[in-house]
Amino acid sequence: MTTNQLTIAMPKGRIFEEAYDMLIDAGFDLPKTMDISRKLMLEIPGENIRFILAKPTDVPTYVEHGVADIGIAGKDTLLEQQRKVHELLDLKISNCHIASAGLPQTKLDDIAPRIATKYPNIASAYYREIGEQVEIIALNGSIELAPMIGLADRIVDIVSTGQTLKENGLVEYDYITAVSSRLIANPASYRMKNKRITDLVRRLKKCVK
Amino acid sequence: MSTIRPFEKPLGMRDTLPTIFEKKESIRQIGREFLLGRGFEFIKTPTLEYYETVGKSSAIKESNLFKLVDSQGNTLVLRPDMTTPIARIATTKLLNEKIPLRLAYFSNVFRAQELEGGRPAEYEQMGIEIIGDDSVYADCEAILTTIEFMKTLEIATFKITIGHAGILDAIIRKNVDDEQQYSVLHQLLVDKNYVGFEEAVHSFNLAPEQATILFAFLQEATELTNIRQISKFLYDKDMFIYMEQLASVLEIANALDYIDFDFTLASHMNYYTGMLFEVFAENTGYPVGNGGRYDGLLQEFGYAASAIGFALRIDQLLEAMPKKQLTVDTVLVLYVATQFEKALKTTASLRRQGRRTTMQAIEGIDDIARFEKNFSAVVRIAQGGIDNDY
Repeated sequence: MTTNQLTIAMPKGRIFEEAYDMLIDAGFDLPKTMDISRKLMLEIPGENIRFILAKPTDVPTYVEHGVADIGIAGKDTLLEQQRKVHELLDLKISNCHIASAGLPQTKLDDIAPRIATKYPNIASAYYREIGEQVEIIALNGSIELAPMIGLADRIVDIVSTGQTLKENGLVEYDYITAVSSRLIANPASYRMKNKRITDLVRRLKKCVK
Repeated sequence: MSTIRPFEKPLGMRDTLPTIFEKKESIRQIGREFLLGRGFEFIKTPTLEYYETVGKSSAIKESNLFKLVDSQGNTLVLRPDMTTPIARIATTKLLNEKIPLRLAYFSNVFRAQELEGGRPAEYEQMGIEIIGDDSVYADCEAILTTIEFMKTLEIATFKITIGHAGILDAIIRKNVDDEQQYSVLHQLLVDKNYVGFEEAVHSFNLAPEQATILFAFLQEATELTNIRQISKFLYDKDMFIYMEQLASVLEIANALDYIDFDFTLASHMNYYTGMLFEVFAENTGYPVGNGGRYDGLLQEFGYAASAIGFALRIDQLLEAMPKKQLTVDTVLVLYVATQFEKALKTTASLRRQGRRTTMQAIEGIDDIARFEKNFSAVVRIAQGGIDNDY
């Protein structure tokens, strides 16, 4: 960690564009277009900022361990991983929600309801909360398959428009929680680089729509 | 459960190899001299304590305790922190002799294993406790001791963030409707989840002025330029006056450069009642240590006394310290068996000079050249006499 350089962990992909544009809106002097397809790190000497480009679910990891001072991460990842990071600002981008879904007019199995999800912690916390003991089946993608082929009664997954569910003949059952991108900070960086970070929060706050 | 391989240690446990050992030892030596010089007395407490007493009073969550059962069926814990055992001895023994007490320790503490790397389950803390002094000067002494010690270790850039458990408590409680809401908001501040705090306040349907005060507090308390800004959130000004005094005492001591006030600072250590603080340094992503005033804890052991203390983590101090190569002068006396007596004499004289001297018979090693590389000087004692380069 160089004294004054701010290292920002950014999620690769769609959220990068939106978050990057917000930083430009907030008055940071960044190149207007940026080809990041194969890059892992970007130095912006003018602003004394360094971006590291990570898989979205890894952003909180970099921030927790302090190799990035701040980062932009989805609330879904934060809820799932429960890492020791400060959550400073809701950027209100990539808005969606986590919901349970399944085949229409089906009920949870009486004996051992099975839930397929890539969010095992969020799913088990939710079902415990509503007083239902369930068995979690962890999957990494194409979660919608699980109820279709009889692997699980319900899935717990992220829903933005509901189009994917519809196309696969699934319906939403319970709305679990809202999700959007958050600005997070490492606890030590938050103290050691407090001026820069609070300044960034203040400027970004004005750009939140 | 897979079979345990020979090189494996229990999750979260770490070895200390010679290089790191020496570095930690030098922190211990510096720390010991430093604290003795400030009138602190060192103590040690047992590794195992009763769950009923120390385990329950400790601020560490039950799920983070290492537990075991003794032959009488009592549940024991591996010491999760040092403050609680010290509260136990102070109240039951030491406080009869001297008040205020100034105690210090170097000690390993244990927290339950966590699956991911980077979080040791056993680590060493250095800390102090000042017991039986409820004045602002004891708080000031704890903070100044931290600052001076960080400087003594040549850690150039560090910050101490100071808050007040009682002030935070009063402000939140005044502006929520029930205990449930209070603990939700308090926990969100422990996690520093400002987004969650705002969402929670919205969801509580509080009276508009309560919500407004909470938002304003969050906003102002995190960007504090003068602690006076906090005064307007408080009805009972006693605690605030206390903090103002602390600030002015710290100013007299020229300590303000290292200090930030943040009244949203909340700790998972639920025994803190008054001023509390966290220590951060450059080059490490984790807190170096924390401390605070705990006036209720000693009562649990049957003696009402106020106390303040802090603990710093040795591994984090090591991260934050300037990286210096420890150069130690080491001498190897390498001898053939027939010259044993001469070797003994040479070694003894070197050791008297204070040099770290290893005696090694040539007969005992295979690769002489490789072994010699580990030393800064070599004395060879062969049949023909002494050949040395020291």
